[in-house]
Amino acid sequence: MTTDMNNSLYELPTESPRFVGQQVRRIEDPALVSGSVEFIDNVTLPGMLHAAILRCPHPHARIVSIDTTAARQLPGVVAVLTGEDVKRWCNPVVTAPEGWGAYCLAVDKARFVGEPVMAIAATDRYIAEDACELVEVEYEVLPAVPDAPAAIAADSPLLFENQNSNVMLQRVYDWGEVEPLFERADHIVRETFRWNRVGANPMETFGCISQWNLADNSLTCRGSYQTPSFMVLGRSASLNLPSNKVRIIAHPHGGSFGGKGGPRGTDISALLSRKAGGRPVKYIEDRAEYLLAGGGQSWDRYYEAALAVMADGTVTGLKVKLLDDQGAGAEGYGTISVAKPLAAFTGPYRIQAAQYDLTVVATNRAPTFAYRGYGPPPHNLVLETLMDSAARELGIDSAEIRRRNYIQPEQFPYTIPSGNEYDSGNYPEVLARALQMADYEALRAQQQTARDEGRYLGIGVVSTVEPGVFDWNAYRTAGVQGVGVPEGARVNFDMLGQVTVTVGFALEGQGQYTVAAQVVADYFGLEMDAVRVVCASSDAAPPHFGPGGSRVGVALTGAVLGACHKIAEKFRRVGAVLLQCEPDDLELAGGAVRMRERPEAQLGLADLAGTMLARSDLLPPDMDPHPGATHVWTPPGRTEPDEQGRCKSYLTAANATHVVLVEVDPDTGVTEILKYVIVDDCGTRLNPANVEGQVQGGVAQGVGAALLEQYVYTEDGQPLVSTFADYLMPTLHEVPITQKGAVVTPSPFTPLGAKGCGEGSIHITPAAVICAINDALQPLGVKVRETPASPSRIWNLIREAGT
Amino acid sequence: MKPAPFDYYAPDTLSDVVALLQRLENDDIDAKVLAGGQSLLPMLSLRVARPEALVDLRKLADLNYIREEGDTLAIGAMTTKSAVEDSPLVQRRQPLLHAATRLVGHRQIRNRGSFGGSFTQADPASEYPAAAIALDMELKVVGPDGERRVAAQDFFITYMTTDLDTTEVLTEIRVPALPAGTGWSFQEIARRHGDFAMAGVAVTLRVENGVCRAPRIVAFGVGATALRLPEAEQVVDGKALDSALFQEAGHAGAAALEEPSSDVHASADYRRQLVAVLVARGLAEAVARSAA
Ligand SMILES: Cc1cc2nc3c(=O)[nH]c(=O)nc-3n(C[C@H](O)[C@H](O)[C@H](O)COP(=O)(O)OP(=O)(O)OC[C@H]3O[C@@H](n4cnc5c(N)ncnc54)[C@H](O)[C@@H]3O)c2cc1C
Repeated sequence: MTTDMNNSLYELPTESPRFVGQQVRRIEDPALVSGSVEFIDNVTLPGMLHAAILRCPHPHARIVSIDTTAARQLPGVVAVLTGEDVKRWCNPVVTAPEGWGAYCLAVDKARFVGEPVMAIAATDRYIAEDACELVEVEYEVLPAVPDAPAAIAADSPLLFENQNSNVMLQRVYDWGEVEPLFERADHIVRETFRWNRVGANPMETFGCISQWNLADNSLTCRGSYQTPSFMVLGRSASLNLPSNKVRIIAHPHGGSFGGKGGPRGTDISALLSRKAGGRPVKYIEDRAEYLLAGGGQSWDRYYEAALAVMADGTVTGLKVKLLDDQGAGAEGYGTISVAKPLAAFTGPYRIQAAQYDLTVVATNRAPTFAYRGYGPPPHNLVLETLMDSAARELGIDSAEIRRRNYIQPEQFPYTIPSGNEYDSGNYPEVLARALQMADYEALRAQQQTARDEGRYLGIGVVSTVEPGVFDWNAYRTAGVQGVGVPEGARVNFDMLGQVTVTVGFALEGQGQYTVAAQVVADYFGLEMDAVRVVCASSDAAPPHFGPGGSRVGVALTGAVLGACHKIAEKFRRVGAVLLQCEPDDLELAGGAVRMRERPEAQLGLADLAGTMLARSDLLPPDMDPHPGATHVWTPPGRTEPDEQGRCKSYLTAANATHVVLVEVDPDTGVTEILKYVIVDDCGTRLNPANVEGQVQGGVAQGVGAALLEQYVYTEDGQPLVSTFADYLMPTLHEVPITQKGAVVTPSPFTPLGAKGCGEGSIHITPAAVICAINDALQPLGVKVRETPASPSRIWNLIREAGT
Repeated sequence: MKPAPFDYYAPDTLSDVVALLQRLENDDIDAKVLAGGQSLLPMLSLRVARPEALVDLRKLADLNYIREEGDTLAIGAMTTKSAVEDSPLVQRRQPLLHAATRLVGHRQIRNRGSFGGSFTQADPASEYPAAAIALDMELKVVGPDGERRVAAQDFFITYMTTDLDTTEVLTEIRVPALPAGTGWSFQEIARRHGDFAMAGVAVTLRVENGVCRAPRIVAFGVGATALRLPEAEQVVDGKALDSALFQEAGHAGAAALEEPSSDVHASADYRRQLVAVLVARGLAEAVARSAA
């Protein structure tokens, strides 16, 4: 069964939109480039204090005692918070799966380097940090679990004693009859991989100002929150407050990418405010804190995988075994990233059956969090490297083996073995365009010439499906309940015909406010600058989730269109009264409501809104005089997971092919990216500039993961990364400006046919770059199986092979 | 990431600076000179350095110059790295120094960071100490006892440690002219553009009748200071030039390294390899640039 949706609700009342689909200027940008955005660190409240957090230096340690006497005596110190307070007032944070969360400050023991142990609020941050240095903590160092293999060793120390094991989750999914396919296969290719920890690093770290109102026992937190309503629920549970007494005011943030969790920082500053008699307490996580133990670590994995292949290159079965290191608990919802690959487990290929053997463990590394893409990038590296290995074994070109295995355009909607349904696509066309743009044959010729000269050029050709518009049901495996994720918008006309759209999430850079304004302007025939988009605090906003899982572009379009539709209905009813006709005689066109038969009989939208708000005496008493409406959109047709976790989860399936040319210097191991071509299909491009920005930004993060970034830990579990001198973000000089092309296959399931497009290029860039490197290294007989493919790592491989 | 408390001074003249440094020393107060702050301020913020007093040189406008004194270029310690980079004089007279400058961090850092600050910081992976040794620079230092001059070779003692006393200020760096026809090369490999090098080399040499003369090969990023590689120099000195010899020199230089540093970016073995490769490449480039 395919997904039904009421499309008429989600259409524009015009054949020729002026803004939707156009590369309009982003309404967000003037404030950004003029520096007038109110980032949280720019905000000062009367009486505000500043928090600093003392963090544990050991991977695993019992806290024997904390002496805060000297710190309390330092002039300027106002409040001191320890595990004792927290134990009395709070609960451990809620996790999925349940029971793997900690209190916001370590209670009794600490489980990772950087775990908050105590916190101080003072009149400025300098004093707060000085005071932290005066605190004496006595630790009893415990044996640590430094990595995932150690976590499952028989005599491993336990992180959570009540769990009796470090294994959070273990199960084997069988989607179809995979064993017989492997028995019948002509070839089986196998690979092992180590994907080292990487993560989100926005320019702005997490920050907040919390204020506990002691009179009514309510909490207001301003900050760089990505998902305000989710934050409310979490704080309510951890701080023992009714959910309607927690108010989150999301400020625009300097990037997010999932790493802006901030639950601990919020709880700690909230409790400090409570102890400081209700004075507001600001906590700005600094970069060292962020890198050590913020929300910026994700995807720490060991893979073993195999692909069953027939002699003609048909790929029939896929087996993936994953050992995943979540770090010290599940507080950051990092577990979701092992579940998300279910939504596109077999990529763009017609693989009949698959198996996922999943073990998720806790270690004494920092807890892992969401990171743009939320899990598929390592999975896609595995799948695409296997495809290349198969091509090599069969002597088929790497582009050709992919072409032979694609789901075909007429097969959509297409249900993959792991249960998700892909909406639409034209994968062969996307590949053909990419190869043509890259002049693939010329690249192969160039590679051959270079090889003859003793140089090592390599070409990566990889394809991907980006699941877009997430749904909770995809994450049932990790213990998340629920089906459907609401996104709401409130659209209001004022008396003069100006429009305000209210949403529940703050700016973080993707340009969604512009999309909302484009839709409203086209719907009502207005100019873009007649539409303003604002973020309301959590208690005043319509139901929302916010950015995440490549969904807001699509979901917000649905919400805005739904609200516009309701307003248009109201305008026609009011217009019918004023024009003395029936609502059905009227239509919305060209910024007015007019009679279908007699278009010169019309009323401007300002007249209608003005009448409703200032001359309701002209309207029947039972007529709604509010020229505004709220609509909450939720993805249609999502299903409950079955016993194997199969469900219709992500609503859209965007697709892309990347073609990359690299050169590897065998003497130094240095990789240079010489050419990078991307063709993607994310359905209707609501604002092509936004799509391009998403694609290019994802490439940057993907190149980082492939070549540069790694949270390095020692064998004892000590992190070695504490500044950007150690954790290497790619810069303008390392990131190729890609040549981009588009194929447009609208989604049949979404408003205006758009698909989620926020994560596709980080999903596949690491695979593209690593596949290209391995292609370059082929004559040397070595292969990169660990990220990042740093110069020293590549040089070591070559040296060990003795070539 | 906020510095521990410190007192801040910004004297108007060099003699005031030196007098202040002397007084603070007498009072047993741990003081540090502040120039562009590009190394010192991060260290303060991380509380790795916690001086009790900072003495800012920012008002000493007379330490900001690049001028010719005969064959020598004299550069004031407070001249910014950007000014050195942009100087036509440096580009024309000391192309190796120009090339090295462009590899120091990013332009934003060079806009703030002083020329002298990189000498006093003495980071073993820094470009300038290597350039200084390769070009035989001389450093002018002023202290309570007046002025003295130190050869670059003697200035860098070990990891982030120089010959400078706590009461002394580096005021000028003097770069002598290279003999006519000298070929040069400045090579490094860093993880990213603008990063400190995992390893690098500076090379100068002359070619006379097809034979290499007066080779100077300096490696950086691989030990406690930038260091000359006499073992590599010997391989090519007085020899006819060919690429096999360059590689041999590279291997000789790499083999002679005592204990290259090892960190998250590069193991000791890998650094040795980089030195071998860069010495060979540097020699080839220097020969190509030499006028013979
Ligand atoms: C992101 C980044 C990347 C960088 N990359 C590189 C790189 O690739 N290569 C490189 O070489 N450097 C690099 N640096 C360091 C930079 O070049 C610094 O500017 C330089 O090391 C110090 O110069 P400064 O003027 O900023 O000195 P400061 O930071 O002010 O001082 C540094 C030290 O020198 C002392 N000092 C300074 N001037 C004097 C003086 N005249 N007399 C006596 N003592 C003095 C100070 O007391 C302090 O100990 C980088 C820095 C950053 C932030």
